[in-house]
Amino acid sequence: MNARILRYLQSDWAGPFLIIAIGGGAIALLKPTFLSAFNIQVLLLAISVNAVIALSQMIIIGIGQMNLSVGAIGGLAAISFAGMMQVWELPPLIAAILALLIGFGGGLANGFIIARTGISAFVITLASLSIFKGINLGITKAQPFYHIPDSVKAFGNTVMFDPIPWLVLPMVVTVLLVFYLLTRQRVGRYILAVGGNLHAAELSGISVKSTIMWAHAISGILAAMAGIMLVARLQLGQPSIGDDWLILSFAAPVIGGAVLAGGHVSVAGTVLGVVIVAIITQALVLFEIDPFLVQVVLGGLILWAVGINRLREVRFQKSLKRI
Amino acid sequence: MRFYQTNEFGLFALILLFGAFFAMATPGFASVFNVFSLTRIMSIDIMIGFSMMVVIVTGGLNLAVGAIGVSAAMACGWLIEAVGLPYPIAILSALAFGASLGALNGVLIVRSGLHSFIITLATMSIFFGLMIYLTHAQAFRVLVPEFAQFGKLRLFGTVSALLIVSCVFAIGLSVLYRFTPLGRQMLAAGANAAAAELSGIRVNRTYIICHALSGALAGAAALMVVARNGAAIPSMAGHLGQDWLLPAFLGPVLGGTLLMGGRVSLLGTLLGSALVTMLTNGLLQLRVGEFWIQAMLGAILLFAVLLDLARRSYLQRRGIY
Amino acid sequence: MKSLLEAQKISKSFPGVKALSDVSIHLAAGSIHALLGENGAGKSTLIKIITGIHRPDSGELLLDGKPFHFNGPREAIAAGIGVVHQERNLIPRFSIGENILLDRLGGSLLKPIDYDSVYQEAKHWLDLLELDLDPRTQVSQLSVAKMQLVEIAKALSLQSRVLLLDEPTASLTSHETVALFSLLKKLRNDGVSILFVSHKLEEVQEICDTVTVLRDGRNACDSQPMTNLGRQDLVRLMIGRNEQIPNADLRDHSTAEPVLELFEVATELGHANINLTLRKGEILGIYGLVGAGRTELAKSIIGRYRVTQGDVLVNGQKARINSVADAIDTYSIGYVSEDRKQEGLILIHSVLDNASIPIWKRLAARFGILTDKDVTAAISPLVNMLEVRTPSLQQLVGLLSGGNQQKISLIKWLAANVHILIVDEPSVGIDIKTKAYIHELLRKLSDEGTSVLLITSDLPEMVALADRILAMDQYRVKGEIVNSRNYDEMSEKIMGYIHSSKG
Repeated sequence: MNARILRYLQSDWAGPFLIIAIGGGAIALLKPTFLSAFNIQVLLLAISVNAVIALSQMIIIGIGQMNLSVGAIGGLAAISFAGMMQVWELPPLIAAILALLIGFGGGLANGFIIARTGISAFVITLASLSIFKGINLGITKAQPFYHIPDSVKAFGNTVMFDPIPWLVLPMVVTVLLVFYLLTRQRVGRYILAVGGNLHAAELSGISVKSTIMWAHAISGILAAMAGIMLVARLQLGQPSIGDDWLILSFAAPVIGGAVLAGGHVSVAGTVLGVVIVAIITQALVLFEIDPFLVQVVLGGLILWAVGINRLREVRFQKSLKRI
Repeated sequence: MRFYQTNEFGLFALILLFGAFFAMATPGFASVFNVFSLTRIMSIDIMIGFSMMVVIVTGGLNLAVGAIGVSAAMACGWLIEAVGLPYPIAILSALAFGASLGALNGVLIVRSGLHSFIITLATMSIFFGLMIYLTHAQAFRVLVPEFAQFGKLRLFGTVSALLIVSCVFAIGLSVLYRFTPLGRQMLAAGANAAAAELSGIRVNRTYIICHALSGALAGAAALMVVARNGAAIPSMAGHLGQDWLLPAFLGPVLGGTLLMGGRVSLLGTLLGSALVTMLTNGLLQLRVGEFWIQAMLGAILLFAVLLDLARRSYLQRRGIY
Repeated sequence: MKSLLEAQKISKSFPGVKALSDVSIHLAAGSIHALLGENGAGKSTLIKIITGIHRPDSGELLLDGKPFHFNGPREAIAAGIGVVHQERNLIPRFSIGENILLDRLGGSLLKPIDYDSVYQEAKHWLDLLELDLDPRTQVSQLSVAKMQLVEIAKALSLQSRVLLLDEPTASLTSHETVALFSLLKKLRNDGVSILFVSHKLEEVQEICDTVTVLRDGRNACDSQPMTNLGRQDLVRLMIGRNEQIPNADLRDHSTAEPVLELFEVATELGHANINLTLRKGEILGIYGLVGAGRTELAKSIIGRYRVTQGDVLVNGQKARINSVADAIDTYSIGYVSEDRKQEGLILIHSVLDNASIPIWKRLAARFGILTDKDVTAAISPLVNMLEVRTPSLQQLVGLLSGGNQQKISLIKWLAANVHILIVDEPSVGIDIKTKAYIHELLRKLSDEGTSVLLITSDLPEMVALADRILAMDQYRVKGEIVNSRNYDEMSEKIMGYIHSSKG
């Protein structure tokens, strides 16, 4: 029994879970409105979108790279979604599917260039971020698309059953699919294999190039999904969607135990990381602390989380070297 | 390698070509006012490029260049306006402040052993957040008139005086890398940290100094923005200072500074930043939609890395590289 | 006998170095074929060419008599060629079973991976090697030896017709080796063609039917039967001469003052009770097998790793060496790394820049400024003296041959005028002529007062150069001998110390 408890405590999600339980509990004691139905709904709306953003980056962290264009792809998909409904008058479902395809295409383009040229993902996605953002601005001229169908607006803002909003549904489905991908699907296992030891994966006959392309394509779809969800929630096709995704997209996976070198990520940990960030953001508002400090807290959380992950990784590497 | 095969010559040729093209294509480009405005922005972009370049040389990244720059500039504004310090001291203090923020990055990176990407991603957020919090997102507009005056100063009636500042820094950095042990140690540590360490270079100390230098240069760039605006505005580098990231990389990458570290080209970075600024300005003069500029810059960066890759493999196959 | 896999007149060059020159090898079905050669002889390159990691510049590869070339590991595996490389190649966080069947996990878009059958099949292959391991165990929890056996199981599971094993017994116990050998014999009898690369000549003689020896990138012999070849024959083929020691004079340094002393030193890496005395002008050798901790000891002496107990004395004074910079600047100790390309040199920098690193500070002492002219003045004479073959001082070190690269490594410390020089595996991957030159150079340096700590796995080299020899094993000093230059006597005594149980 003790061994099992110990194993659970060592898992990636145990730490974040404890933090949520203790921190959330403390906040609830001090500010009872924290647990009100309305507040839970607001929290869940934020968590739903942010979880998908975090997963989009998490996949790329899994392969040992970084994707700076997560926000730009999400933003481009978002305004495309809104624009297609407004200007071309496409039904929401079709527009959403097309927007997801845009995300897929953008991600695939990233993956293709990275895989074929071997240039670092950082530089490639820095360039593509500007290109996608540029296309976004070129299309929208920095003006939002205002005419969002009522059905979409409702989906983004109403509840399934109190206080769980509809927006939670796509998030849960996405989380489950990503988990399934990484644990039971070849592509997912290959992503983690390449991240864990690229050379070994290659020698085993895995096509590193296609794995990289798949990872980035999936990341693009997820980013697009988050963009679409955000349009529903904001009830606007806002060109600035995605501008502030970068820090969050790294913070949550890292809090969830992801190793930046690749090969180890935790879906549950990432989602809990999103929850922590959402709770902290909310708490700052509840306690009337300057909201600008959110940035400081996020940065601090990242430092703390990578510090801990680093210690665990060093211990892991040491254990690999013994005879 | 012959001079005309070098990267720097290619950039120089492109600058001349595009310069000539824009001058012929639109009357506004070669106007005195535009050249002045262009050289002013160029000086700033060059400094931003330098600030990232000194970190790339050691094989790392500094995502916090914008955040550090803005923080240093706001500190300067505060020292002049709220504390009442004479502006030369405020400027020096701001540069020192930028250097210490950079040094903090360096210390965190070295002590934790983590990649500079994630550390500077976090500190970018922390520095910017603290800065916004402390300034309440308010600008300092009542600066001494010398700032705006210097920003308006022209040489030969057309070229901004700020360009001289950038060139002075360029010369200083050149001297650092070619004629001082420290500069050579930076290049060695960036090329192969293990070999450098075993040859007696204090690699950790070198990294910290590089990041401190980066912070100081970022501060200098931000002060030049203040001179141009006549005020210290917290949003001068965008949200979290992100707006500086693209120009910060474009200059060094176009200029031939390897992202892996160990090689540097001052002239290349300078010409690269200059070329990008000129292209942007020229396209704006041609009334190409300003919203497409950003996409174009991203495409240039992509093109630059691909070209660099192609050039390196060509030279490798010829046995030159 | 008909060959299953053949390489004919393979040549391969890398920038600055000709790795293989007209090399041929013929692997017959149902045989165990040894591939021998010193470090740098070309064995790894040949294996990488066969498995498709490198393309040969010229020559042909034939499988079943038909020419082939692979574009990567996947094609090699598909054609029935399995490899176990020297370094470990496993995904650390994956299970044993998943690592073994990594390219055959099954599952498709609609079907999840059936892990039960994955583990079942993996168990089958583990059982063949008599490995009592649960295939669900994470690979990171295994010892290095078990990891190697898992990789062998993985190669077996490919049911290859050709099996290439590169130093397969490097980390195995004798019991594990016995199990492996009986399995290899069984495979041979089933018609598999096995290529066996190893430094352990006794094992090669025990199990191999035929042998190919490479020397300096060429065939010293091609697919000869083992039956008539004894150990001395093999050694002669590998090194080109009998294990003869050049007649160096014996020297006695017992009255010279000690320049470096270690008393009961322990390090953060696991050394304990290390006692060592290096006297002025002496060449003290440290011999040991791979993993004995010699390089780690050297790196601890120069301050790269921490000394946790005991005293280090330099020239009779207690020394606190906290960093490599300290070791060089304050105590005048230099270290020529065994890993020339990763740790000894900066390949993308020039000869001039590489050779001058330790003296930059000294050259700039007056005004803080130093020019290339200053550096050239200091380095150029040494480059000429050591007869380094380079088109210019600006040449990138990565483009030089191994021998010339090693000379640059040494010049670095000559320029710095170190009094104590630690040399770690100086002749690995170096041509014979340069090796002889380096031996002479070390001898001359020590005659002129530099004290040398020589680490080498090349016993003939050790016996030729060292005045005294320390035997190390498992991070302990096992014994010390004064060198008599009699190879057999030294070899027996040293091995005796290493295999003894007391430390």
